[in-house]
Amino acid sequence: MNVLAVVAFAVALVPLAAIAWYVVTKGIGVINVDFFTQDPPGDLSAAGGGIRNAIVGTLEMTGFAALIAVPVGLLIAVFDVEVGGRPAVVIRFVIDVLAALPSIVVGIFVYSLVVVAQGHFSGLAGSIALAIIMLPPVVVATEEMLRLLPRSIAEGARALGLSRWRSFLSIFLPTAFSGIFTGVLLAVSRAIGETAPLLFTSLGNNFFSLDMSEPMQGLPLLIYRNALNSAFPAAEARAFGAALTLVAMVLLFNLAGRWMVARSRPSGSR
Amino acid sequence: MTAQDSPRGSLPDAPASEGSTLLRRRGLTGDRVFRTATGAAAVLALALIGLMAYDSISSTGPVFDRFGIWGFVTGTRWSPSFTIYGALPFIYGTLLTGLISVVLAVPIAIGIALLVTEFLPRRVAGPVAIVVDLLAAVPSVVWGLWGLLVLVPVLRPFEQAAAGSIGRVLPFLGPPTPGPSYFAAGLIVAIMIIPIVAAVTREVFAATPRLQREAILALGGTRWDVIRQVVIPIGRTGLFAAIILGLGRAIGETIAVTLVIGNSPKIAGSIFAPGFTLASVIANEFNEATEELHPEALIALGVVLLAIAVLINGGGVLVRRRFEQGVRLGR
Repeated sequence: MNVLAVVAFAVALVPLAAIAWYVVTKGIGVINVDFFTQDPPGDLSAAGGGIRNAIVGTLEMTGFAALIAVPVGLLIAVFDVEVGGRPAVVIRFVIDVLAALPSIVVGIFVYSLVVVAQGHFSGLAGSIALAIIMLPPVVVATEEMLRLLPRSIAEGARALGLSRWRSFLSIFLPTAFSGIFTGVLLAVSRAIGETAPLLFTSLGNNFFSLDMSEPMQGLPLLIYRNALNSAFPAAEARAFGAALTLVAMVLLFNLAGRWMVARSRPSGSR
Repeated sequence: MTAQDSPRGSLPDAPASEGSTLLRRRGLTGDRVFRTATGAAAVLALALIGLMAYDSISSTGPVFDRFGIWGFVTGTRWSPSFTIYGALPFIYGTLLTGLISVVLAVPIAIGIALLVTEFLPRRVAGPVAIVVDLLAAVPSVVWGLWGLLVLVPVLRPFEQAAAGSIGRVLPFLGPPTPGPSYFAAGLIVAIMIIPIVAAVTREVFAATPRLQREAILALGGTRWDVIRQVVIPIGRTGLFAAIILGLGRAIGETIAVTLVIGNSPKIAGSIFAPGFTLASVIANEFNEATEELHPEALIALGVVLLAIAVLINGGGVLVRRRFEQGVRLGR
C-alpha cells in the first residue's frame, strides 16, 4: 500500500521536474544582460530586446500593492483580535470570501470602479487589484500571529498600566513582527505571479514607464502575450526567459518566507 | 487555514462594552479611538470592495434585461457579432474542467497525504511537503506556457489512441482531438490544485485521534488497516471539505486554462474537444470586446462565475466547520 502512496508522490513530481527542466533549459538561452536592460520590441515576433519594463512594472505594482495591503490588513487583523465579537466574525467571513474569489473576478471589480472612473487603464488599477489579492493572506497571518502571543505578555502590559493601543503599538505588533513579515512575503510571492487581475487593469505596455497613471507592463502579462504568439520562435524564447525570471522572483520571496518561519521554530517540527 | 477557525486568541478579552467602568474611570479614550479607528479602516476597505462588486453587477443590467437571468444562464449560443449571448457553454466548460481536475488530483493528493502522515519518518516528511508546495509556487501563466508548448503536443498521440479505441464506445472520450481541450485544461489545473488538496488532507489525516489509531494496532492491525478503518472514515468529512476547496480553486483558474483549452464557445461532447470556461472566455475576449453588449455580457459571465465560486466555497466552509466540530467533540 505504501507503494501506491510513493507512486502518487512520484506522479506529482513529474510535472514539477518537467516544468523546471523546460523553463530552465529554454529560458537560460535567452537570458543575458540585454534581456534585463532593454524593453521588448513592438512586434513580438521580432527577436532581441528584453523584459526590462515588465520586471520594473511588476516590482513597482507589487510594491505599491503591498503598501496598500499591509497597513489595511494589519488594521483589520488588529480590529478582529481586539474588538472581536459579531463585527469580527462578519469581517472574517468577508475576508474568507475575498480569499476564495477567482482572480479574474477581482480584475473585473477593479475595472468597474477604477478603470471606468479614470477613463483609462493604469498601473494604479493593477496595484489595487493586486492589493485585494494580497489582503486576505496578510490578515490571516497577522491574526494568527497575534493570537499566538502568550497571555503573559498581554497581562504584563496591562499590569504596567499600558493602554491597549500602546500595548499593540509598542509590544504586540513588534513581538509578532517576524510572523507577520513572513505572511507578507508569502502574499507578495503570490501576487507577483498573478496575471488575470492585470489583464484589464494595468493592461500592459510596450514601452518603459514608471508612471502609475499609465498602462503598465507586468512580467506575467508579458509571458501571457508572448505565449499567445508562441508560434514565433522569438516570442517563445522570450516567454521562457521571462518565465524563468518570474519563477526565480517568486521562489525568492517564497523561500525567504519559509526560511523566516524555520528560523522562528528552532525545534523544526511539522 | 481560514481566518475563521483560529480559536479565540490568547490576548485577554478587551472590555466588552464601550461604557465599561474600567475605561470610563481610567479615562482611556485613547483605546476607544483605537478601536473605532481600526473598525473604521476595516469597514472602509471592505466597503470599497463592496462598491466595486456593486458597480460590476449593476453594469450587467442591460444583459439580464435583454435575455432574462434564466435565459442568459441557459442560453447555448455565444455570438457577439449577432448580439446573442448565452452562458451555458462556459458553465459547462467550467464544471467539466473542474470535475476532470478533481478526479485527477484527489487520488494523488490523498496518496501524498497518506505518505506524509502514515508512512514517512518525520525528518523526511518535511522536505516532501516542501517539494509538493513548490508545485504551488509556480505561477499560473508559467503552467499555461508549459502546458501549451509541451504538455498538449505530448498528450495528443495518447488522446488520439484513446479516441480511436474506447472513444468509439464512450463518446465523451472520442474525437475530435486537436490538442487544446477540456482534458488538457483539466490536467493542468489538476497539477495546480494538488498542493492545496494535499495540504488540507494532510491536516485532516494528522488530526486522527491517536487512541483510535493505537486501538487498531493493538488489535494486530497493519498500517493499511489503520488507514482503512480509522484514518479515512474519521477524516471523511474533512476529506470532502478538501475536495471542495480544490474544486473551488479549480473553477477560478484562468490563465493556464486560457492557454490550453482551445477557445471554442460550443458545448462539445468529448473531453478531448476544445472548449471554454467562464474565466478563460473573459480573459480571452475582454480586451477586444467592441460589439454591442459584449463587455457587459462578459462581466455577466463573471457574475455567474462569482455565484458558482461562492456556492462551492461556501459549501466547503460549512463542511469544514462540521468536520472541526467533530474533531473537537472527540469522535
